[in-house]
Amino acid sequence: MTTLTTPAQPGQGKSMRPVPWRRLGWVSWRQYRFPAIGAAVFLGVLAAYLLIMGLRVRSGYASVASCPQLGGRLSHTCGTALMLFGGYHVYGESTAAVLMAVPVLIGAFAGAPILSRELEVGTFRFAWTQGAGRTRWALARLALPAVIVTAAAAAFSQLFGWFYYPFFATGDSAFGPQYFELTGIAFAAWTLAAFAIGTLAGVLIRKVVPAIAAAMAVWAGLLLVTSLYLRRLYQAPLSVRNGGHGAPGVSPWLISQWWTGPNGKAITSENKIIALINHPQPGYTQWTTYEPGTRYWHFQFIEGGWLLVLSLLLIAAAIWLIRRRAA
Amino acid sequence: MTAMATPAQPAPEARLRPVPWRGMAWVSWRQHRYTLAGLVAVLGAAGLYLYITGMHIRHEVPIMGEMFTMNQTKLTLTPIAALFQIFPALIGAFVGAPVLARELETGTFRYTWTQGFGRERWAASKLAQIAIAVTVLAGAFGFLFSWCYEPIIGVRQGLSPLMAITFDLRGVAFAGWALVAFAIGALAGILVRRVVPAMFATLAAWSGLAVVTGVFLRPHYETPLVTRGFNLPSAAWVISQRWTLHGKPVSLAAVSQVLQKIGAQEVAPGVFGPTGPAHGPNSGNSAAFGPGGAWRSAPTYLLHHGFTQLTSYQPASRFWPFQWIEGGWLLALSLLLMAATIWLVRRHAA
Repeated sequence: MTTLTTPAQPGQGKSMRPVPWRRLGWVSWRQYRFPAIGAAVFLGVLAAYLLIMGLRVRSGYASVASCPQLGGRLSHTCGTALMLFGGYHVYGESTAAVLMAVPVLIGAFAGAPILSRELEVGTFRFAWTQGAGRTRWALARLALPAVIVTAAAAAFSQLFGWFYYPFFATGDSAFGPQYFELTGIAFAAWTLAAFAIGTLAGVLIRKVVPAIAAAMAVWAGLLLVTSLYLRRLYQAPLSVRNGGHGAPGVSPWLISQWWTGPNGKAITSENKIIALINHPQPGYTQWTTYEPGTRYWHFQFIEGGWLLVLSLLLIAAAIWLIRRRAA
Repeated sequence: MTAMATPAQPAPEARLRPVPWRGMAWVSWRQHRYTLAGLVAVLGAAGLYLYITGMHIRHEVPIMGEMFTMNQTKLTLTPIAALFQIFPALIGAFVGAPVLARELETGTFRYTWTQGFGRERWAASKLAQIAIAVTVLAGAFGFLFSWCYEPIIGVRQGLSPLMAITFDLRGVAFAGWALVAFAIGALAGILVRRVVPAMFATLAAWSGLAVVTGVFLRPHYETPLVTRGFNLPSAAWVISQRWTLHGKPVSLAAVSQVLQKIGAQEVAPGVFGPTGPAHGPNSGNSAAFGPGGAWRSAPTYLLHHGFTQLTSYQPASRFWPFQWIEGGWLLALSLLLMAATIWLVRRHAA
């Protein structure tokens, strides 16, 4: 196919750039609207679930929080409210586990097909040889979905934070590895990262389905490595003896906890540890390594920052590959 | 495109069927070998992890004891199991959905469906081969998972073999879930006719089916047993609990009112703790659960005051019957879905 209506490269002459960005944006939107609607429906269904459950959870929490605490005794309506609220916790936990997969589903399914589909079915021969030039074309096609996806993810994670607030207020830590990625700005950043990984995978692999699969695998690996090894390196964790790390705000992220005996060796017997928790003995020490809750936003910005830089680099690499590639 | 080498329908004459099934098998293999290689690679990597973990557990249990090993392993078991739960959905989306959707999207169906082999046989042959490959691989993975965690599943109440976290990852059920995901993917492919939307539809449909099964169907494969008191058999799967006072049902409020008197509360079904603000399991604040109080004797206290707790549960011994029930209906559903797919291929105007 050789439908060369204008030269493949826009050339040096500035007068030869007839297609304005707005038009490109319109084309990009026309090509992208069905995936965008699909993603909106998917997020909408999840958001409706969060909203309905959230209202129940929060009203449950409101009646628990309004209980007067007089010497540790509660009225019986309070006891019931507490029981009801405790029952919601398992729903909250499993919802959070399911939502961990949302960034990669949105990001990889939105990002990987954009360029790989064009390469797989051959339409790139037409699209890249238009007056807009292939670099501007690729940029226009990627920028709009990237912004939409990231903004939608950011809004969605705020909704999750609203839904999960009562559990954070009663002990769960937003700093813990199960929730850190779902709250703050990390959710949007991980979604953008999935989008960018998908884009680059699409250009490298040039086929839609393998590109999506590769993007999902790489993203999952990156998330695993980050939450298991990298995140605690942002700032060295603190160690404390015998508890006493309570502070208002976000609960700390407990990294590890162990007991040492009088001889300084770690205790491995579970029964001995239970006995020590109930009846502390002199000579035995409980050690805790943790990241204090005050560092939560600091960590969020570090993680959001490097993910943003990584995403921009990956998208730039994808565009560079497109520029270099023989049409 | 009208590359009609032979008539579109193979016609009733028996001698007009020149392409043997074996030839078709070779074509399927050539078309899907990379997909299958990817599947083997992913399941193989996960299987390697399971093998190493399984050996580690077998090494630890005699030294540390079952309970300690279970508590150690449970920390990694939960996220790993949650990750494995989505494997069937991914198989459906990445292996099942493209089989027909790709042919329809790129237009190659015009060529393949008009060959001497016939389009129903073409579709049936491809579906059957991949379905068998997927089921066998998933079954092997499921048995490896069972083997890996066998020493610690069912050791105590916390981890009944029937609970959703591991039940559908083991043996027969995992193979069934992978097969049904593949069948949903193939059907979504012919209905949606585009690869990426069909993949997404598969993920959504499979997740819906899995949630409905886990929440509504599985507890009722067999009538749950009911017991009084607090001594449940080991590793039973608790389905519901309610209270009675002198034989009449009472609300939780009445129970908690009685419990207030000794400063106790029921924090989860059958689990008692001291009164105070609610504590999440990750609170790390063990002080409130510290030195024993009157709340520790809450069960006895309630029994002496005429309260009875009725617990309906599924005993752990029903594990294998449940596995076969679930595997059976999933197999039947998969066959139905694949039959519907082939029927749609037949009806589809080429």
